[in-house]
Amino acid sequence: MIIFKFRFFSILIAVAALSSAAEAQDGRIKGTGGVSSMSGAGGGGLIPWATLSTLATAEQYGMAVFATRTNVDDFSLDVTGLSMTFHNRLELSLARQSFTIKANDAKIHQDIAGLKLRLTGDLIFGDMPQLSLGVERHLLRDPATAFAVGANQDNGTDVYLSMAKAWINGPFNRTAMLNINLRHSKANQYGILGYGGDDTDSSTALELAGAIFINRSWVVGAEYREKPDNLSTLKEDTATDFFIAWLPSKRWALTAAYVSLGDIAGASNQTGYYLSLQGTL
Amino acid sequence: MKRLSVRNLAAGLSLSAAIALVNCTGVMEDNDLYLALGGHEGIERITENFIMEIAGDDRVIDHFADSNVQRFREKFAEHLCMVVDGPCQYTSDTMIDIHTGMGVTEGDFNAVVEDLMAAMDKAKVPVGTQNRVLARLGNLRGEVIYL
Repeated sequence: MIIFKFRFFSILIAVAALSSAAEAQDGRIKGTGGVSSMSGAGGGGLIPWATLSTLATAEQYGMAVFATRTNVDDFSLDVTGLSMTFHNRLELSLARQSFTIKANDAKIHQDIAGLKLRLTGDLIFGDMPQLSLGVERHLLRDPATAFAVGANQDNGTDVYLSMAKAWINGPFNRTAMLNINLRHSKANQYGILGYGGDDTDSSTALELAGAIFINRSWVVGAEYREKPDNLSTLKEDTATDFFIAWLPSKRWALTAAYVSLGDIAGASNQTGYYLSLQGTL
Repeated sequence: MKRLSVRNLAAGLSLSAAIALVNCTGVMEDNDLYLALGGHEGIERITENFIMEIAGDDRVIDHFADSNVQRFREKFAEHLCMVVDGPCQYTSDTMIDIHTGMGVTEGDFNAVVEDLMAAMDKAKVPVGTQNRVLARLGNLRGEVIYL
């Protein structure tokens, strides 16, 4: 927890220092960059969205940094990372995940590099939804557990196609958004338990998110993530979250969520909280 | 007597059906958004706030350097009134004509949207009503940017 607080503090300092030096690259409307997902890619929390992180427009480039803690019954996951967007066209992201097995305080680290390309459309304006293609390259730095449970590899590449559409005047005259992803992946538990296995080796999974702006600064929503189930010895479930995000300015986003991650590595029905802070430079 | 009341009922029903039909076909003006904005006075207040917001917005003020403020005030109010189905006729150049050659970017457009949000906030327009207005104006984006 101390390390986590230190990470939060580092973000505050970094954003404060860098943002005062740079001209604002935040020409998009607040909220349209979403927040940072667990893989580092711009999105919600459990899944990336078609949106590109930061609020940089076609003429701008931006950078966002984040720290996230997820805490469920028998595990916790800390993620820190950053993403850069170029001309609201390309997003590059880097994230480091630190997974803790509470029973023996064992840690598993994973690094993820992501690339997301906005193919067409705009999240809020026009009839065409925003369509993006993303790639995530995962590398497990502590693969012993993964191999012990039967994973084939310590690295993997996910590819996803993502579509998002927001309606300024949605239900109840509130701004609302829907996002749909199709992801091709070999990952076991987001890659923390490696890639591939004896059961099936890869699959295409559905990921969904919906959000509604209560006003300009508060957003509530939910996400759903299907996952591959590659290991015959360990059952893998779908994951869901219910979130509330506070966007006090274009620069900051604080997200809290209830997460239900299903069975993880034999521990049943893992539920808990998710907390994430993002600063945009 | 009984027969009469049935007849009255039938007459009443057909009258309401007729009114509903008129409403649907738009013969009777559906101007509830105009009224939600506070009618003519509300639109004048929003327009005034909007001009002040733009005047203080370094991101876009250069685009308005050559604008005649009085004419902008008149035409913007007229246009907004028309967009929200108010009893106004917008009498000026098309959005495309006005913005051609101005080099309005996506970011400029968003900045002006934010200025309008602030203008409506200051006029105490609730978010739901703002969203109804913004959704209609947002449809004009293609007639404004990168022309």
